[in-house]
Amino acid sequence: MSDDEPGSVPDTASVRATYDRIADHFSKTREYPWPEVEDFLDGRSGTVGLDIGCGNGRHTELLAECCERAVGVDLSRGILETASDRAADRGGSYALAQGDASRLPVRDGVVDVAVYVATLPHLPTRETRVASLDELARVLSPDGRALVSAWSTEHDRFDRTEGFDTTVEWTLPGGEAVDRFYHIYDPDEFRADVAASGLELGSFELSSGNCYGVVRVEQSG
Amino acid sequence: MKENLMDIICCPLDKHDLELDVTERDDEEILAGTLTCTECGETYPIEDGIPNLLPPDMRDEAPA
Repeated sequence: MSDDEPGSVPDTASVRATYDRIADHFSKTREYPWPEVEDFLDGRSGTVGLDIGCGNGRHTELLAECCERAVGVDLSRGILETASDRAADRGGSYALAQGDASRLPVRDGVVDVAVYVATLPHLPTRETRVASLDELARVLSPDGRALVSAWSTEHDRFDRTEGFDTTVEWTLPGGEAVDRFYHIYDPDEFRADVAASGLELGSFELSSGNCYGVVRVEQSG
Repeated sequence: MKENLMDIICCPLDKHDLELDVTERDDEEILAGTLTCTECGETYPIEDGIPNLLPPDMRDEAPA
């Protein structure tokens, strides 16, 4: 359990420890893929698909269906074990690796289709969040596309209009609550962070209180 | 992990190639071993079949 005061400086280690701790319960409540991800992947194909912040692999398995190979990367070992178990149960065929979104262990330009959903808001500073978008730009192939999502101030549970840092509790069976760090994006800020990186925004939408951007490598000139 | 993952992964620090050293294998599945960066020499463990490619400064962070 964390002793951190709300508003204390967040760090990647605490986010990772939280997900290691809640992995099993979290995974059980994340059975189904998001419709926005299914829509993005509809009709797409490629050689390599990458799921950054793959969680229990529910979207990695969709990538494995539309790409020849798929890889799920996550910070938390506990979460990756849930993905491994789920893949074994469901006959999923994809690779897993433990890694950090802002320092991806993936080669330049090899990824045709990427999904980076509900993960960006867990990175503790703007610097690491933009670095993770730069990393996504680095690994995407010239024609590659990625879906990036972030929880937004437009969600009903928030009453602020500008982006802010917060913690959101995860309640374990038995009632114990574990804090998770989030940066809640306002839509303009989401666009600005994408623009500050080596990515460019194709389409943008707000759906179910989340910002969704379809991005590709910034085209020069 | 399977050996063909080597085509996709790289050192998280300098993005150079990794060299695979397998210590335990079950058919095609590599269960344990190490990945060593051919440039900086950093070594990454493969644990329970999943490569741990966290940068070394994050690898040793004990969960709170």
